[in-house]
Amino acid sequence: MLYRYDGTKCGFLTAFCRAFQDKAARLSSGSVQLALGETCEDVTADAALAERAEKRFLSFDGGCIRELERMLHSGAPDKDEVIFNYFRMIATKKRPVREMLAEDAVRKAEDCILRIRVEIDHMKGFLRFMETKSGAMYALCSPDNDIIDLLLRHFRARMPHFPFLIHDVSRAKAAIWDGAHCYFAPLGRAEIELSDDECAWQTLWRDYYKSVNIPSRERLKQMRGYLPVRYMKFMNEFFGH
Amino acid sequence: MISEEKLKILTNGAKYDVSCSSSGSHRKNADGLGNAAAPGCCHSFTPDGRCISLLKILMSNDCIFCCKYCVNRAGEDVPRATATPEELCELVIDFYKRNYIEGLFLSSAVFVSPDHTMERLLLTVKKLRTEYNFHGYIHLKGIPHADGALCREAATYADRMSYNIELPSEHSLKLLAPQKSKESLLLPMRSLSVQKREFQLEKRKGHFLPAGQTTQMIVGASPESDGQILRLSQSLYRANGLKRVYYSAYLPVVHDSLLPERAGGQLREHRLYQADWLLRFYGFEAEEIAPADGNLSLEYDPKCAWALNHPECFPVEVNRAPLELLLRVPGIGARSAYKIMNARKYAALDFEHLSKMRVVLKRAKHFITCRGKFFGAKNESTVKLLLAGEETKRNAEQLSLFSARETALSALTGEL
Repeated sequence: MLYRYDGTKCGFLTAFCRAFQDKAARLSSGSVQLALGETCEDVTADAALAERAEKRFLSFDGGCIRELERMLHSGAPDKDEVIFNYFRMIATKKRPVREMLAEDAVRKAEDCILRIRVEIDHMKGFLRFMETKSGAMYALCSPDNDIIDLLLRHFRARMPHFPFLIHDVSRAKAAIWDGAHCYFAPLGRAEIELSDDECAWQTLWRDYYKSVNIPSRERLKQMRGYLPVRYMKFMNEFFGH
Repeated sequence: MISEEKLKILTNGAKYDVSCSSSGSHRKNADGLGNAAAPGCCHSFTPDGRCISLLKILMSNDCIFCCKYCVNRAGEDVPRATATPEELCELVIDFYKRNYIEGLFLSSAVFVSPDHTMERLLLTVKKLRTEYNFHGYIHLKGIPHADGALCREAATYADRMSYNIELPSEHSLKLLAPQKSKESLLLPMRSLSVQKREFQLEKRKGHFLPAGQTTQMIVGASPESDGQILRLSQSLYRANGLKRVYYSAYLPVVHDSLLPERAGGQLREHRLYQADWLLRFYGFEAEEIAPADGNLSLEYDPKCAWALNHPECFPVEVNRAPLELLLRVPGIGARSAYKIMNARKYAALDFEHLSKMRVVLKRAKHFITCRGKFFGAKNESTVKLLLAGEETKRNAEQLSLFSARETALSALTGEL
């Protein structure tokens, strides 16, 4: 049976409790093609059941709920299956399993977490803010994983006195920090008026980028290995390239 | 706002400094702008393959010293500029809030006098920390011959400081950088290291170089061997507790009869970095890696070369070998070694497991067994051939009409 949940931690833990005993169970938080003869159940998140499940999992492995929260940010199409298999293994063994790397379920979960971590690290560096007329900062991005809430946490700690907005254009949503509170909102398209100095600072940055390069040591392959092309479209040093 | 022209001049002068790392500091944001994270962060990459993490800039390129290899040396006909502390602070803040940079790497030519230069550098970092309330990463260059008290005060504001050792021997330093001396570079390094230890022991409030010290030397401008260079690095790590030694292959940016005409090999620089990692993370001694008067093999990476010279140590059984030995297997890095140590507690590992765990087996398979099975080449000369072939493939490139002369020569002779 396919168990459909709402993509939240509470929803996953509820669906897990329903599906655990079902050997042919599949979990999904998005739209998925049913197999021939397969039935589907929409699982409504049950806070009390999820809390009990969370406590039980924490008694097996103190770090697994953090891993779950991280994996739920994944944009991979098979993420629900990866998380379900990993948690099924923890529930079966009743102990931490993350070091059992000879097991497929563990390796896939580790890969999933690693991919998210790497993208967060990339975006912490590659995100580019622009100053708007109102003084707020605005950044565009299109990450593979749904991570703007994690990015907001990072930039809030870094510049608590600057209001900013991080716009995930591929998911049409935004994370907003107004200097005191965080908000998350759907956002399809934004019209931004830049501050008077913004263009001058962007030009200075492009000049800096050109000057700090040593042309006689060109290693484009290495550069592209570290900085995937898909991130360049929002980085102003590559505008016009 | 600093002018475009000034920014270009001051960046051009600073770009040959290799270090751009922003790692090692845990500085928290104290109700201002910025913080520093221990792993560091890369904000962009330039076409030369280097990361941009910090705003790497000179305060001035108007130098009174005459180091033979330096583009900013006194008397050289290049455009000169000097930035004010305000210009630099404003630049850092505006670049930082746009997330272009992780912090500042501030260096300078020696202008007016070493003390004057150090005072201006100190004034800039002090302004950033106190007036602009900036808590991002700051890497500050130490100026040789500057007063010790100034350096000590600078260390309380900077996350990292570095004195460039420039050349690997006192003789070369005298010849190519006559105004600098071994003492003017090593003594401040040593005294900062002692002061940092005192600061930590006394558990004083505030910061004192939380990311430690680094240094840099030019390779290929003077005749020292890799063995000498590695021994020097090892002693710097041990005696002065340096975090990193950077190596920079010599680039002929100015002409001088005392300097070689050709650039130092980038492959040599790469091998030195590999050997440096073996010193820092893999438990190797400099003496094991290269003889005192010898160079590293360009054909094999230093770990491979060591393994080929010590066939008596291999093959090792991955399910039983201690960590120290796993770390010495070519192709098995620190992360893979730890993964193996963990995974083998739960199951006996075979080659399929290792490959699924993303342990690179191309080189390692010649030096390991899994559950007693060996899948490498049995003949020592075949192993050498295969490994050398792999290295050649990795360093191969398509020649163009405009390829450098040495690249074209290597195509004819097969020499790397």
